[in-house]
Amino acid sequence: MSSSQSPRIEGVSDAERGLLRDSVREFLSKRWPSDHAMERSGNAQAIAALWQDLAGQGLAALGADPAEAGLREILLVFEELGRASCPAPLLGAVGANLALAGQQSNAMRAMLEDLHQGKAMVALALGAFDGDAAAGKVEARGDALSGKIAFVEGAETATHFIVFTAPASVAVVASGAPRLQIKVTPGLAVPPLAELTFDNTPATRLDLSPKALADIASVARLACASRAVGAAERAFELAVDNAKVRKQFGQLIGQFQAVQHKLANCLISLDGARLALDAAADARDNCNPDWHVFAASALAFAGPALRTVSIETHRALGAIGYAEEHEAPRHFRRVHADLARFGGAPGARAALADFVLGPAA
Amino acid sequence: MTALPAISMGPAANAFRKEVRDWLGKHWTPEKQAAHLRKPFKDRGYDNEFSKLMGRDGWIGVGWPKTFGGQGRSASEQIAFVTEVANSGAPAHAHNTSESIVAQALFLHGTKQQQDEWLPFIRNGECFFALGYSEPEAGSDLAALRTRAVRDGDEWVVNGQKLWSTGGDKADYMWLAVRTDPEAKKHAGISVLMVDLHSPGVTIRPSMALYGKTFSAQFYDNVRVPAKNMVGAVNNGWKVITDALAAERVMIGATRMAGLERAFDHLTEYLKTAVVGGKALRSDPVIRDRIGALAADLEVARQFQVRNARLVEQGKVPIHEAAMGKVFTSELQERLGQAALDILGAGGLLSEDSASAPVGEMEQLLRHSIMGMIGGGTNEIQRNVIAQRGLELPR
Repeated sequence: MSSSQSPRIEGVSDAERGLLRDSVREFLSKRWPSDHAMERSGNAQAIAALWQDLAGQGLAALGADPAEAGLREILLVFEELGRASCPAPLLGAVGANLALAGQQSNAMRAMLEDLHQGKAMVALALGAFDGDAAAGKVEARGDALSGKIAFVEGAETATHFIVFTAPASVAVVASGAPRLQIKVTPGLAVPPLAELTFDNTPATRLDLSPKALADIASVARLACASRAVGAAERAFELAVDNAKVRKQFGQLIGQFQAVQHKLANCLISLDGARLALDAAADARDNCNPDWHVFAASALAFAGPALRTVSIETHRALGAIGYAEEHEAPRHFRRVHADLARFGGAPGARAALADFVLGPAA
Repeated sequence: MTALPAISMGPAANAFRKEVRDWLGKHWTPEKQAAHLRKPFKDRGYDNEFSKLMGRDGWIGVGWPKTFGGQGRSASEQIAFVTEVANSGAPAHAHNTSESIVAQALFLHGTKQQQDEWLPFIRNGECFFALGYSEPEAGSDLAALRTRAVRDGDEWVVNGQKLWSTGGDKADYMWLAVRTDPEAKKHAGISVLMVDLHSPGVTIRPSMALYGKTFSAQFYDNVRVPAKNMVGAVNNGWKVITDALAAERVMIGATRMAGLERAFDHLTEYLKTAVVGGKALRSDPVIRDRIGALAADLEVARQFQVRNARLVEQGKVPIHEAAMGKVFTSELQERLGQAALDILGAGGLLSEDSASAPVGEMEQLLRHSIMGMIGGGTNEIQRNVIAQRGLELPR
């Protein structure tokens, strides 16, 4: 309804989106097969080689031209990355493409060219625009940055960082820049997040409005939520398949109503999250001025819903899915890591309350 | 002003929405609204005269094919229509079952004579049906129904008991599921009759349901029904019943959704300005968090409705998708009602008949939510449908 009849700003049809999904899935199944996804996630060389190939598919330019790919296409590709447990540094690429599109600096244009050819890999450091109160911030003085930013993904393999600063600007920092410290912070996320410390670190800067930076940060949140949808859905499929073949007490466990209802609830949550994300992307692609409300709705719903799907998936798989060599645990990590970031569901609920009730007095 | 931004239903539905709104603005006047509110709660939503007015101006059968005298509107336009009517508070329940379930079944399974006779009657807003499905021993397992119909010349003779018929005491006709072959397998021996409730042998016993309106038990004691009132072939009633339910689920979902959005709008309008104990409620972080979560859930519920409408427009029949929408929306209604009690405290217990009620309708919304979770197949049965039809899990 809304998408098929409302004016479109670019010409990607539902059928073309279906083809894009198929081709990305096919590519990842060959290039990042499930059997090797875990061991390769910690292998910087494997990720760099994969990135070259993804760039060869044109995916490193995602977000550079809205006529080629809008937010719906971006989210679709992230969903596929989630399904494949693929840590390709696409978040940084999309952030760079959105932030630097159409700007004139030679250094930045060269970096984008390298990015699109798969030679550069970018990590996104949102700082004050992250949404997480503990994400830190970086201040720009002239062409030098100082401050600390936490919760950065893809930092270990990055050749460049796209850093959102205060006052509002976007800065490009080479990973080997002097006085840039990269500290890996291990935890639930695989590959781990990292913390960046800047101490008068040289950067190339471009002034952007706070609104433009907040807009890109919203895209990053939705992209990660879509990656979580892909991961949650893949693990869920494993649980459904298992319920159709696993026998206990002389019958298939999928015949037990307790299991059926658990999995039915998961499907409601998965479909609800995807429909809400689609609606948000559709609103942005169609220049709906309220698109951020749809985005907040999707994030506020997806957070608790997908994390519950992930938990219930494991309960349906039982101990079969509890070994790290099984596919399910990596999806559990991905779902939780992607949804707890950027202020998570509480931040999205607060944004919705701002819209519905107005700001707190 | 609604709390959430409107979902664009496309230019055609948006234009149609305005047409409907204009008609309601002209005919659902403040005087009629005031008079309607003076009725006891149990009778609100039902107004045979208003149904006739809607029928006169072509507002019954909006989604019917043009060949049957309808407007042939798309699912999106129908949702826009249902939403506008619900938002206005205009009483459209009286003809609802006739317009949706009965007409749908007549399109698919009615004889030419039945279509010519009954469809204009319904379209004119003069024909009021209720559903006679459930029985003491046949609830979720509807096909276990035992109300018996035996052929006698040009008539069927009906004996048995039905339960929980919404609006049964206000209707003139019952859409009655009966057993015509007790020897056949349970789904195979069922037929559907249109029964005049004013016939000798019919006893109707209304009882008050938790949501504040009546449903009724009916007793059929040698009730004679003309054979021409059977819809579909003898013993083909299960198909008649299930076919009629499919398209109509979308409209029921849209009506429930519109009611939820309206309640949420009223609650949030109140919260924007309310000061209790010297504190502005809208600044309470717990309330803000709860309202944010409900807003997101409402948006998701709307998206389930939109998906169902899209499927219908594509000529598909949403089965497990409709079940998902039903489960999610009815359980959201329960969450909204419970949240209102937490937010409003004891004030949330007061109905709109209490002058000091902060919002009024929330306690009724909560009582009504039970009906959404039970009626039209319990949510547990819906989850079976999702698991077995949607996920193809083994039976």
